[in-house]
Amino acid sequence: MTDTPVGIRQAPPDVRLWEVRVVTEPETSRQPEGSPAAEPPSPKAKPLGIILTFVVAFVAIGGVAAFFISQTYTSPNYPNGVQVAQSLGTVNVNGQSVPHVALRFQTYPDSTGSVGGKPVHPSGNPAWPAYGLTNQFQVPAHSLVTMTIRQYDSGGSLNNPWFAKVSGTVGGTATFTSPDGKTETSNHIDPDNVGHTFTMRSAPGVDAAFFLNVPLPTNDNLPNNQTDPDGGQYYTVKFSFMSGAKGVYAWNCEFPCGQMVASFGGVMGAYGFMSGFVHVV
Amino acid sequence: MSFEEEVDEIEAETILGGAPFFSRPGGKIFIIWLVFTVIGVLIGVYAPHHLLPVLHSPEGGDVWATVVVFTVLAAPVAALVYAIAFYSLFAWRHRSNDPDEPPPDAEPQRGNGPITVIWLTVSTLLVVVLLFWGITVWSAQQVVHPNALQVNVTGQQWLWTYSYPGTGVETRTLELPVNRPVQFNVTSVDVTHGFWPAALGVQVDANPNVVTVIRTTPNTLGSFIVQCSQLCGLYHAFMNNNGDVVTTQQFDSWLQSNGATPTAAAAAAGVSSGGSTTAMGK
Repeated sequence: MTDTPVGIRQAPPDVRLWEVRVVTEPETSRQPEGSPAAEPPSPKAKPLGIILTFVVAFVAIGGVAAFFISQTYTSPNYPNGVQVAQSLGTVNVNGQSVPHVALRFQTYPDSTGSVGGKPVHPSGNPAWPAYGLTNQFQVPAHSLVTMTIRQYDSGGSLNNPWFAKVSGTVGGTATFTSPDGKTETSNHIDPDNVGHTFTMRSAPGVDAAFFLNVPLPTNDNLPNNQTDPDGGQYYTVKFSFMSGAKGVYAWNCEFPCGQMVASFGGVMGAYGFMSGFVHVV
Repeated sequence: MSFEEEVDEIEAETILGGAPFFSRPGGKIFIIWLVFTVIGVLIGVYAPHHLLPVLHSPEGGDVWATVVVFTVLAAPVAALVYAIAFYSLFAWRHRSNDPDEPPPDAEPQRGNGPITVIWLTVSTLLVVVLLFWGITVWSAQQVVHPNALQVNVTGQQWLWTYSYPGTGVETRTLELPVNRPVQFNVTSVDVTHGFWPAALGVQVDANPNVVTVIRTTPNTLGSFIVQCSQLCGLYHAFMNNNGDVVTTQQFDSWLQSNGATPTAAAAAAGVSSGGSTTAMGK
């Protein structure tokens, strides 16, 4: 081993590989003679750096988490506020006295315009229909809720005809009143002449047995939403249901009134037009 | 001895030789690997009790065993990666008082025959074992039972509906008789969904314009949840519903209460006209 560099032979037994190799590095890679040596790091720099790293990481992760939490349905910042159900007193259901409340709702062929100074939707789009004037409701738990929906919009065929059946209402029926005043109580409508549906189910873990589906007939006498959204002819659909346990329930429309795949993109994929939440308290 | 051989010798003595085994880096990594492996095996054995639902079918039991076996087999492999990474981060990190700023890169490792052979052999054995296990479990679900209860499953944004051919019954709750083979014919009317009654041990995508078949045999009475396992849009998180495994008589009554004629309900439930169950329905 006469040709072995002297630096390796003189290295202590526990020296690491790169410390051995650096002895054999060419001169060009070394610190130039006479140049100022790098200042040793301050003893306080290391703990300070660690603390700052954790602080920055905590703020960044916390900020992202706070943003997502603020975007969930638990956020109180709803467009157009929450419609608290109007009390109608109490009613006897199966021998028990329960609260009776009422909700009113409309469907509009486009989401522009305003009613009483309140926009149909804060982000109105003439190509997008909307339920209005809010998509948030509040009802008491285990109470009788009577909902009246004015259906102003046109429609067509459902992707799944099953949604033309009325489910989850008192008596399994709804009352449909046409623009010319004809009233019919039924457990279904024609699946090829549906305007929208009001379909409601609970958040996971709240009340899995709860389910509500009411189809709304198509209406060909569209109002001019730009000037008078409530001025046209409409179907009136009225039904009652028993609210479930306390918690958050989602509602949406099951009529394919959007764009793109299966007409469930666009307005159907955007929160707040054909979807919302019912807060059972 | 050449220069490279000299370097290898010094490196080998530094990392592996000289001191007692457990004082050397290799020994320390071995200890960390052992600890991580034990933790991984314990997670593999006990975590399913907390993560998986109560099972209602033998297919669910197969899935349970698969989760346990796969996790236990993967534990030592993952532990080796984590042990080396963990040790390297702490023992071989660059320290600020090192004279070299920064240290040069280490020499690449090439041509280590024994390591390559061990690595490829163990990897191949593991993959073959997992493949054999997976195909065996999957094959058990492909057995066609001629008298299986047919259930057509339709996914749409954002709800499941179930129809029972021959009965006229279509509902949003999945009702199944106990100990009766079931064939799910799964499709979608819009985007791709994932039909996942986890407690039954089966999961399959619901694709538009395609009917995909999956089979199971519920063997335990009780309720379970059906979820969508494919992100399918705005209310994907709400696309779940209840399912129940009930007795044959309860299933017959349920069909009739949802509009099936007594004859059609009895035929679907596997109940004879006198009310007793057939061989398949028992």
